[in-house]
Amino acid sequence: MADAIRTEGLTKDYGEARGLFDLGLEVGPGEIFGYLGPNGAGKTTTIRLLMDMIRPTGGRAEVFGVDCQSHPVEVKRLVGYLPGEMPQWGGLRGRDVVAYVGGLRGRIDPGRVTGLAERLDLDLGRRYREYSSGNKRKLGLLLAFMHPSRLLVLDEPTSSLDPLIQQEFYRLVEEARGEGTTVFLSSHVLSEVERVCERVGILRRGRLVQVARLDELHHLRYHRLEADFAGEVPADAVRALDGVEQVTVEDHHLSCTVRGGFGPLLQVLGKGQVLNLVTHEPTLEEVFLAYFRDEPEKAPVAPGAAA
Amino acid sequence: MTAAAPASDTPVPVTASGGERGGVRTMVRYALRTHRWAFAGVAFLGFVGPYSTGASYAKLAATAAARASFGRQTTAIGPQLAYLVPLPIRPDTVAGYLWWKGLTWMTLVVAVWGLAAATGLIRNEEERGLMETWLATPFSRVRLLLSRVGAFAIAALGAVVITALGTAAGLAAGKATVAFPALAEQGVSVLGMALASFGIGLAAAQLASTRRSALALGGVVMLALYALDALARVNPSLDGWAAISPFHLSDLTTAVVPGGHFAGAPTLALYGIAVVLIALSALGFWRRDLLGSLLHRRAGKTRAVWSASTVPLLRIPVLRTLWQQRIGLAGWVIGSVAGAAFIVSIAHGTGKLLQSAGGFKSYFAAAGTSSAATAVVTSVWLSIAAVIVAAYAITQTSHWASEDAGGRLEMEIAQPIARWRVVAERAVTLVVAALLMAAVGSVVTGAVAPSQGVHLDTGALVTATALLALLALTFGAVGALVISRLPRVAVPVLAVVAVAGFYIPLFAPLFKWPGWVLDLSLFHLYGTPLTTGVYWTGLWVMVAIVVVGCGGAMAAMRVREVGR
Repeated sequence: MADAIRTEGLTKDYGEARGLFDLGLEVGPGEIFGYLGPNGAGKTTTIRLLMDMIRPTGGRAEVFGVDCQSHPVEVKRLVGYLPGEMPQWGGLRGRDVVAYVGGLRGRIDPGRVTGLAERLDLDLGRRYREYSSGNKRKLGLLLAFMHPSRLLVLDEPTSSLDPLIQQEFYRLVEEARGEGTTVFLSSHVLSEVERVCERVGILRRGRLVQVARLDELHHLRYHRLEADFAGEVPADAVRALDGVEQVTVEDHHLSCTVRGGFGPLLQVLGKGQVLNLVTHEPTLEEVFLAYFRDEPEKAPVAPGAAA
Repeated sequence: MTAAAPASDTPVPVTASGGERGGVRTMVRYALRTHRWAFAGVAFLGFVGPYSTGASYAKLAATAAARASFGRQTTAIGPQLAYLVPLPIRPDTVAGYLWWKGLTWMTLVVAVWGLAAATGLIRNEEERGLMETWLATPFSRVRLLLSRVGAFAIAALGAVVITALGTAAGLAAGKATVAFPALAEQGVSVLGMALASFGIGLAAAQLASTRRSALALGGVVMLALYALDALARVNPSLDGWAAISPFHLSDLTTAVVPGGHFAGAPTLALYGIAVVLIALSALGFWRRDLLGSLLHRRAGKTRAVWSASTVPLLRIPVLRTLWQQRIGLAGWVIGSVAGAAFIVSIAHGTGKLLQSAGGFKSYFAAAGTSSAATAVVTSVWLSIAAVIVAAYAITQTSHWASEDAGGRLEMEIAQPIARWRVVAERAVTLVVAALLMAAVGSVVTGAVAPSQGVHLDTGALVTATALLALLALTFGAVGALVISRLPRVAVPVLAVVAVAGFYIPLFAPLFKWPGWVLDLSLFHLYGTPLTTGVYWTGLWVMVAIVVVGCGGAMAAMRVREVGR
């Protein structure tokens, strides 16, 4: 069976190093794929290329073996789409928007629409302009989920949603997976990706820097360790260890990060008299932030600090 | 010794450019920028209108005898048009004619501008979320509103100065002069009208909850005040009531007319209306919720709706757009009906007066008929109908551009439909709507004309109606093509095409321009199908524009990037 999404050398060059470059990505059928990256990394550009909203300057993209640029209508028959920004529907009521978009698409099951509206707690009788940003997002989700599709392309789906509706969204995604639908969702909310995705792709400055299963990302993970000593802290021995970084010592307190195993570090610590030892695993959010943190620029000089 | 004030109590400058005064300047500059296109259009009309009137007067009535005759004819026609414009004063002089035909129309133009600017500025900024940003800065609501008023006053003053220059140029072209004080007095009156209209629009924007409803409410008020003025012209017993109409107060100043005068108290009243309405609007804006209205409607208990609309029209191509625009479209159709009914109902009387005046024979010849009443129907009404469908096409183009910019196009082409179909559906929708407006207008024309002694050929009326739809599509095709490359300039480009198309047939005989220049006017290409038959050259040129415009727009839509 063809991949749900397959791109080869997909490039959209906006100049000045902005855009998306040489994207090679494969998302299997039935998979839930998280697409991560900071703002401006190229997530929405990728989605718009898949949806044929914008044209690549190089490479190609396919959805279930159908070329996104040469057969866009066929691709859109297979896809449910939630754009990153909701369109302005003005004074139309929610129910009119649903009927209008449904009319553009063709077959819509009224029962499914009603079910989704109830689950998302979305009153379709109100005018679009009266909707809060969260309700606008709910309407977008309803439009994306209301028709049977083989692939859901969702651009930051839970932004503006309250936690209860976020849970409902996760259930909808689970149900879609149960029906064999592939889900491709972009996000910069790591907890969301941890919750629903099987694999993730990480974009940085328009380039795909990592594709991995969630459990494979653990090599990126690290632990923070804090220890209090009764006597001298073996700081030099700790600093000499591989995988131990950001070592700071204040009086009898040691703080550091550890990648890989704890064995060598514990051996060194055992040479001193440890009174208290605490470790904690950072969230993927913290891992992500550490991964994308740029080189620090010159720190601002505090007033009066200069000689 | 007193303790130093805590740091948090230290006043913080509003802007980096110099405190509140700098903030006001920034706001005024921003508001001025939003007026730039409307200012350009009004200033253009303000210069060209009076100038062309003066220049054409010199051609039409070159000698003293001709002027006297022309004046008599115009005075005779005046009462027929009293529902639209004031009675002419000294039309045997270029200044009198220019005031009547040029400046009284300009009053209407600035009134519409003031209303649209006031409702658009405040409400549009609220709907786009900009107002929330402005008000998140330490900038009071009243100050913000006054900055908008100030910006409009500056823009309106600029437009009035250019109108005064156009008036002076028109008078010079007609070999007449006007004293500067008289010109200034007339300008003060026009500026007062602009500000009073702005005040009405501003007040409407506090009472309504959306830009559209504010415009509609303000439009209804303005129309009522205009109608009051018009009725008072033909029924002097209403004169007292008319004093509340800014149109009436503005009409009273005739400073540029020989023997005319500056109506000081009425002009002061115009400014008084503006000041009172602006002050009330400021109070209303200060009191009301953002995105809300002063007229609170208590929300009743309504049941939530969980299902899609069952209106079948929303699922049918073309009809789905017409259904969404049904209220606006009804307004356009009613406008066409009212225009047709009014013009055709005065055709006999107006035609009789024109016929008694020898100078209009060439006018009948141009209309392709020897019957003056028929000429009024075919030339006057169909010209207005052509302008109406062109204006409709321009509003549709604006609608398309905002759909594209607002993300609706992205949502539409995310569905399994070919991109070219979006352009095709827009074009067909425009044709159907224009046809509806033209057809209803034509039915009224056909029904009323016999009562005026005008007997129209049904086949020719059908042809004229169909060609109106083609004219609308021609404008739409140009708009669609421009939108595909430069969406922001599409409406200004079409406005230029329309205004140029309106003036070219007026200027061409005056300046003896060659025939091909006339064919640059889309209105000329439409011709006078009711009397002279189809202007085939025009028809083919329009078809060619439609093919190139729509074809180009479809091709461009296929490769166009959406949502970047």
